[in-house]
Amino acid sequence: MMTLLGISPQLLFGQLLIGLINGVFYAMMSLGVAIIFGMLRIGNFVHGAQYMLGAFGAWYLLNLPDLFPSLGLPSLNYWWALVLVPFGVALIGALMERLFIRKVYELEHAYGLLLTVGLAMLIEGLFNVRYGAAGQQYNIPEALKGGVNLGFMFMPYYRLWVIVAGILVCVATWYAIERTRLGAYLRAATENPDLVRAFGINVPRMLMLTYAFGVGLAGLAGVMAAPIYQVSPQMGHSIIITIFAVVVIGGMGSISGAIYTGLMLGVIEGLTKVFWPQASTTVIFVIMVLVLIFRPAGLFGRETVAAHAADMSTARPDSILENGRLWMAILAIGGTIVPFFIYPVFGMKILCLALFACAYNLIFGYVGLLAFGHAAFYGSSAYVAAFTAASWGFPTELAILSGVAMATLLGAIFGWLAIRRQGLYFAMITLALAQLVYFYAIQASWTHGEDGIQSVPRGYVFGVINLNDPMAMYFFVLAVFLIGFGVIYRIVHSPFGQVLKSIRENEPRAISLGYSTDRFKLIAFTLSAMLAGLAGGTKAIVFQIASLADLYFQTSADALLMTLIGGVGTLLGPIVGAIIVVTIQTELATLGSWVIVVQGAAFVVCVLFLRKGVVGTLEDWLSARVERKRIAAGGGAPVVERSSH
Amino acid sequence: MTTHVSDNIIEARGLTKRFYGFTAVDGVDLDVKRHSIHALIGPNGAGKTTCFNLITKVLQPSDGAIRFNGVDITAESPARVARRGIVRSFQISAIFPRMTVAENVRIALQRPVGTSFHFWRPERSLKVLDERVDELLETVGLLSLRDRSAADLPYGRKRVLEFATTLALEPELLLLDEPTSGLGSEDVERIADLIRSVSKGRTILMVEHNLSVVSRLADRITVLARGKILAEGPYSEVSTDSRVVEAYIGGEE
Ligand SMILES: Nc1ncnc2c1ncn2[C@@H]1O[C@H](COP(=O)(O)OP(=O)(O)OP(=O)(O)O)[C@@H](O)[C@H]1O
Ligand SMILES: [Mg+2]
Repeated sequence: MMTLLGISPQLLFGQLLIGLINGVFYAMMSLGVAIIFGMLRIGNFVHGAQYMLGAFGAWYLLNLPDLFPSLGLPSLNYWWALVLVPFGVALIGALMERLFIRKVYELEHAYGLLLTVGLAMLIEGLFNVRYGAAGQQYNIPEALKGGVNLGFMFMPYYRLWVIVAGILVCVATWYAIERTRLGAYLRAATENPDLVRAFGINVPRMLMLTYAFGVGLAGLAGVMAAPIYQVSPQMGHSIIITIFAVVVIGGMGSISGAIYTGLMLGVIEGLTKVFWPQASTTVIFVIMVLVLIFRPAGLFGRETVAAHAADMSTARPDSILENGRLWMAILAIGGTIVPFFIYPVFGMKILCLALFACAYNLIFGYVGLLAFGHAAFYGSSAYVAAFTAASWGFPTELAILSGVAMATLLGAIFGWLAIRRQGLYFAMITLALAQLVYFYAIQASWTHGEDGIQSVPRGYVFGVINLNDPMAMYFFVLAVFLIGFGVIYRIVHSPFGQVLKSIRENEPRAISLGYSTDRFKLIAFTLSAMLAGLAGGTKAIVFQIASLADLYFQTSADALLMTLIGGVGTLLGPIVGAIIVVTIQTELATLGSWVIVVQGAAFVVCVLFLRKGVVGTLEDWLSARVERKRIAAGGGAPVVERSSH
Repeated sequence: MTTHVSDNIIEARGLTKRFYGFTAVDGVDLDVKRHSIHALIGPNGAGKTTCFNLITKVLQPSDGAIRFNGVDITAESPARVARRGIVRSFQISAIFPRMTVAENVRIALQRPVGTSFHFWRPERSLKVLDERVDELLETVGLLSLRDRSAADLPYGRKRVLEFATTLALEPELLLLDEPTSGLGSEDVERIADLIRSVSKGRTILMVEHNLSVVSRLADRITVLARGKILAEGPYSEVSTDSRVVEAYIGGEE
């Protein structure tokens, strides 16, 4: 039999088939994400969880008699699931839209993403609590068992069915949106809701139905995926980041583009498995990088506006809570006393994560860019510091500096790539780039895969201070933290910081004054990565380990959550947030997956009810008190003289 | 008639902008004489703001070329064009709301100092600019409000503040997009006086709906309608042009 480059046709076509199947799921999923993004301007991170719900829905229906033995329900097979589950999932989607997502349409896009991240953690966490990491088996329906021999390969009927049905669904969706009256209304509604409202159309209901439809597609994909992949709580999480990368590659504003891109990337992934198996998990992310470099708008996209800053900060410049010198002193004194009352290890964990959150706040709070991949900087620095300390015997301070250098380099590269696209794309790109680093760390040999780099020596600082003494270690970390805190304060309150502020407040105006705002954003992003690296490198020395968890998505989400709970763009918010989050994580550590559920709930609560965070709320309260006092003292209302209208 | 190249600060040729098949600016040739006040008028949607966006490079022209002081700037970035000395104001007032009045002006003064990338320097290093900040605020009558948050200003004062920020850059060419829109008559007078007083040694290109302001200030007027130039000349000539009258009456209300 003929072979191609020493590869058997069985292998080639087999992988091609798997690639095509994956591609169908990518297409169906990214279609839903693209519709929701295009029409509602929501980066639907919970799409993966909704896909998982579809698969579990099918599994539930099949196992009805076992699940509710007392009710005497029949077992509903695959075909029932194919009809019922998408509707069920769509209904859940409609409910989510009504209860949560609707609340953030008028807010900055970042909140929509944060909200759906929280919902995803909540749902996936709950399923994890119930079913654990293990997958459930779902058998291929009777009618589609077996297959046909095509001569060059064996084609299972079920896979053929998935490919044909998936593509048909995609085409039908494309037709409905691009070629029907309803679709025309939909497109018009997103561009000019007032106009469509004037036609007597209920726009809120239309948006709800659109969301439900996109989610229903994910549910359908979940049902179709159940017999192929394991039905597990994690199945959605691993796919959603890939889907975001697919959407970035496809570009904005093209429904058919999402379909082509999904199919194509699935096939490319399959081919990569044949010719270069190690690269198959990363190939989509690498393609994303190439597309960003050579065709920033995406393969089918039109717009290429650079990432725009959004002001989400809640600080008041003249507040006592923003007084850097004062708080530097308080933190130094407090930090010195604290280890005599709490475990130094607990204190060090808080300090490392607080520094990480402060670094993140620099880009999210002070520049207004929703970065979503800071784990890459934190984790890569941890790995490099651990490796140079453990394998090359670097002195501690040099090991940490090596880590910082790595994080800075990555930060410059990621920033340069991500700033080419605006708004939510910025978040998606940083997320996908961080995932690339994560996959790299799984495969590279020097990172030791699942084990990570362990037994990192704490060593000596400057050759004299022995860090194996817990107190010495603690005070070293405190010093690192204070230096980082001081550096951030200086950056924010420098001529450079003034320009950052103007960019956040009104970017077009800053440009019209002659500032190349992209360059400022890039430098700020790189500085933020550098400081995140300082936190990560220090952490690796403290805990004597660098592991995959440091690079995982969850670590990026932690940074966000700490900043959000504490108060975005405030001096102290990230520190307060770190204390809260680390305390929660430590208290709930024995409860396993509940930690994720609680964190997800915290995201949702913060976005819906506590957008100003603890510190922002406190500042509001303080300034309201000052105002009351002023009025009581006869100061009058704080209005400047009226204009002459 | 031969005009020497250096007489015109802006020379746009065949300037065109299409938005998804809709042509907002259609083959506009625009010459702006140095040290003149040039008004761009026309009914709503005529393409005036789009012209500004093209000249300041906020939008990339679909066709045509723009020269500034004889240099082709068609391919440059908006920030680069601003650094060359073309500074604009916006149709809807553009200030930095959560910065103080003084900081709003200082951010413009800060750029030429050259320390804007210095993230290691304290903010104190910008103190040297305070004197100039106060001078500018004095000129526009905002000095007493220098430490107020810009968001607290009434609308008229916000426009004045935006104007002061624009002036701080000592632009060679000022593009003003409806500087008097939304203002009461007193503020209109104030802005008109300001424009006249800063026009010495500068070139001003302004979009303006208030024709009495135009007639008082402008040396030359270009009338735009549906993306094309309808008429051009001094106010007396243009205001009697029957096509202009028709376009205005047909286009407005
Ligand atoms: N970014 C854009 N995308 C699509 N169409 C646009 C865009 N900007 C402007 N237009 C359209 O171009 C036309 C000209 O707009 P422009 O803002 O230049 O008018 P104008 O003369 O400034 O009007 P006004 O007096 O109302 O300010 C309008 O029909 C407008 O809808
Ligand atoms: Mg306009």
